[in-house]
Amino acid sequence: MLLLGIDVGGTHTDAVAIGPDGLEAQVKVPTDHDNLLSSIKNGLSEIVRNIDPSRIKQLNLSTTLSTNSIVEGKFEDVGVIVSAGPGLDPHSFMTCKDFHVIPGALDHRGSETRRLDNLTLEEAIASCRKSGVKVYAAVTKFSPRNPAHEKEIGLAIGDNADFITLGHQITGRLNFPRRISTAFYNCAVWRIFNKFADAISGTLDEMNLGHIKVNILKADGGTMPLPLSRKIPVQSIFSGPAASVMGIIALCNITHDSIIYDIGGTTTDIAIFAGGSPLIEQEGIDIGSHPTLVRALKVQSIGIGGDSTISILEGIVRVGPNRLGPSIALGGEIPTLTDALIWKDSCVCGDIGKSKGGFAAFASHKGFEPDELADKAIAYAIDKIHSSTRELVEEINQQPVYTIHELLENVRIVPRKIYIMGGPAKAMKMDIFRKFRLSTEVPENYDVANAIGAALTRTTTELELFADTERGLMFIPSLGHRENIPRNYKLEEAEKDAMNHLLAHLGEMHVAADGSNAQITSSSSFNMVNGSTTVGRNIRVKCQIKPGVVRIHS
Amino acid sequence: MLKAENRLGVIFFPAFDWAISPTHPEREERLLYTQDQLREEGLFDIEGIREYKPEVAQTEDIERVHFCFPEAEAIATRSHYISSGGAIKAAKLIMSGERDRAFALVRPPGHHAMKTIQGSRGFCAINIEAIMCEYIREKYGPKRIAIIDTDCHHGDGTQDVYWHDPDTLFISMHQDGRTLYPGTGFPKEAGGPKALGRNINIPLPPGTSDAGFMMVMENIVMPILDDFKPDLIINSAGQDNHFTDPITNMNFSAQGYAALNSLLKPDIAVLEGGYAIQGALPYVNLGISLAMAGIDYSHVREPGFNPETLRESSEVMNYIASLCDGIRDIYFNPPKESSEGVISGKWSVRHRNIFYDTEGFTESQTESLLLCENCRGLLKVETQKENGPMGFGIEIPAAACEKCRNTGYSLLEEAQIKSRYRYMQMINRKDKDYLRYGF
Ligand SMILES: [Zn+2]
Ligand SMILES: [Zn+2]
Repeated sequence: MLLLGIDVGGTHTDAVAIGPDGLEAQVKVPTDHDNLLSSIKNGLSEIVRNIDPSRIKQLNLSTTLSTNSIVEGKFEDVGVIVSAGPGLDPHSFMTCKDFHVIPGALDHRGSETRRLDNLTLEEAIASCRKSGVKVYAAVTKFSPRNPAHEKEIGLAIGDNADFITLGHQITGRLNFPRRISTAFYNCAVWRIFNKFADAISGTLDEMNLGHIKVNILKADGGTMPLPLSRKIPVQSIFSGPAASVMGIIALCNITHDSIIYDIGGTTTDIAIFAGGSPLIEQEGIDIGSHPTLVRALKVQSIGIGGDSTISILEGIVRVGPNRLGPSIALGGEIPTLTDALIWKDSCVCGDIGKSKGGFAAFASHKGFEPDELADKAIAYAIDKIHSSTRELVEEINQQPVYTIHELLENVRIVPRKIYIMGGPAKAMKMDIFRKFRLSTEVPENYDVANAIGAALTRTTTELELFADTERGLMFIPSLGHRENIPRNYKLEEAEKDAMNHLLAHLGEMHVAADGSNAQITSSSSFNMVNGSTTVGRNIRVKCQIKPGVVRIHS
Repeated sequence: MLKAENRLGVIFFPAFDWAISPTHPEREERLLYTQDQLREEGLFDIEGIREYKPEVAQTEDIERVHFCFPEAEAIATRSHYISSGGAIKAAKLIMSGERDRAFALVRPPGHHAMKTIQGSRGFCAINIEAIMCEYIREKYGPKRIAIIDTDCHHGDGTQDVYWHDPDTLFISMHQDGRTLYPGTGFPKEAGGPKALGRNINIPLPPGTSDAGFMMVMENIVMPILDDFKPDLIINSAGQDNHFTDPITNMNFSAQGYAALNSLLKPDIAVLEGGYAIQGALPYVNLGISLAMAGIDYSHVREPGFNPETLRESSEVMNYIASLCDGIRDIYFNPPKESSEGVISGKWSVRHRNIFYDTEGFTESQTESLLLCENCRGLLKVETQKENGPMGFGIEIPAAACEKCRNTGYSLLEEAQIKSRYRYMQMINRKDKDYLRYGF
């Protein structure tokens, strides 16, 4: 049995095949941004050349398709129909020209405080139809507590749309502006993503790989089955950094609070682990000009990488954030961090002689001893990485908590170990160790860790359950599940229900549901009081399949 | 994307695991819907608005302000340490310049906690605004501070803490004490003998709505602030003037609270009361947050808001108008003598019985201020909880003269020798010397 992983990166597309005995094949092909499919096809052909295709069970794919189409603004026009009720002016969250606000309101418990205005709704749809819109996002405030208004809008749009995203289907978490932009992006990339999904399926059939189950990587360090991804393509954005982080998890046995660096050409990605688990962004990832509710691992990028240019201003040596070309070793003209590492004999790559010659000439031209310049450049880069990491850890430790228990427990992250991957990882290992004085590890196969991460990442999902015993209602927004509950419904039952629905949902996606990876991430129950009598309980439960990797070799 | 005009820090601490009792108005559920509303609005995604976690106050922060008998730890629960720590965090954000404004959305509240504390009153055990203000003065030097209390109940605790302090202007607007707890807060309560005109009470008739509050702001509060020129403006932001509040009788709205805040421009707002946890708090807290950040709040409307039916009668408006001139005068032409206390030798002495409603006991207290020509004067307190032991407190103010300072120490020594008191506490703000004796 083999698991394939393909990570379409900015420069290279990495592909690996992993079997019970470990890495069986690995390739790196250049990424063609105008034809991502061909890059994937090339990687795949290289991999299957020496492998029996019938052994391949699964392909996990991380692609920049949705990200690029959003960032470059190459997407379809969307009709966005929202209803906000009281609060901030919804026009502040206008995502596109076909943006319509319909009077109507729900409150925080999901009670209708104002009916949806059907007349305005009809006018809005007519206007969208006139501008030729074929995909629609319907988002109402507090829809995770009651989706009725979103469904009403969806029904009214009906046959006018090829595809509709209803806000509550994205997540049960609250954040109206983010729900609008997430639903908007989901529609915007829907067609392009589905064409891509068709092409992938077609290619696999052509290559006689039609039996392979395909999963798409998500930014939260999990995957989703291809059929599901067709409905929620927005979840595939920014899965690249997640692939790297999952790679480190696959290659190392992380148990402590840790720091992960992926040092690339132009940037270094920093991720933080608490205990053995990567941290997730509290709200969601930012893309384009709008923050979203797309769950993502917390990864911070800083402008320091192997190709970062060395500059000297008023006697002070700096590295980055610019990249003016490749390193001298690889044919560039201005020395880079990599050239400094080569000068110090920490790194072997490209034309060593040319690099050292160019570096020395640059140093003397600037009035430096080459040794001193290399030391200062490396120190600068390490200092920058160090201070950014400290800031990130501090920021995480400053994050709000809401109970006395949490606050007094003072759960702080104190990193005890560093894991480094990416091109310059080996070269910078000792310098990083000297600066941090923490155990520092560079795993084997660090150069294709991202593809390994992609290959081994398991399917994740999360859901939020909300129950209001005063009204006898339980609701799981992302599944659109609503059921009546007795007045004595309790937190324990809610937790059990949430877990059951989570596992059943995985089953529907044909994912072997391993209960041991499912966990409750938060759960609370509040007495609701009217006058001086308790009238019911307001219950909230969140659960998830933990992000993680499959261990196929024991 | 929205961008805040003022960088706002929100310290949100709902204390989701603390309540006085399961059905008490001040319980876990209180800020639940506010949290939902702020999250759903995406408030913390607005450029310039950031959420912070509170700090935990130290016992020293409490004992710098209060005479605590038997001791702070016996009166304040962990959640009180956190809510006052939340206010301290707000102060640090402002004083360090990290933020332009800060809103401590914390519970439990504190404005009924007096200078001397032996227990809990009106859901309050320690005065979180006062703890914050004195933290500021201790760490950042002397400051002129104005505290504007917009809770529906008279801020009797804050009034008491600052009764003798001419550098703190305390203005409380509240539902008339003849109709609501704690039954105090009348214009004649204008401050102690050394701080006359620095304590301003504005008792408003039941049914006061947006226009009445704004009339008071424009005719009393703003002119006084313009004259006082405080270094810092603090809003004790109680939200129980709301028309849906279950324990009061006012008609204020979320729009009104936001407009008031936008006129007042407080550096720091600290949440006080407010018990309409579903129909008012989410909207009022949102309105205040937006007003503090300088963002359009005109779309914030609570269910059931109808300005026509809430509007004050002309009688109410006329009554408020008649209050305005007289009250403004208390600041500009303060009375010659304090309404409380008798002069006994060089001391101004007040005997009081203070009822602790939350716990149901009475404290009898004698508070004396040494009338000094050269400084604000030395403060001395003798206190006894019903059938309990005697406590003794003495406070030397930050700008005390040498004579008052020395008198303070000799009175403490005398008190120790007499051994009449089970508990003794010295607050010496001049030398930052804080002592406590007793067991
Ligand atoms: Zn109150
Ligand atoms: Zn004196």
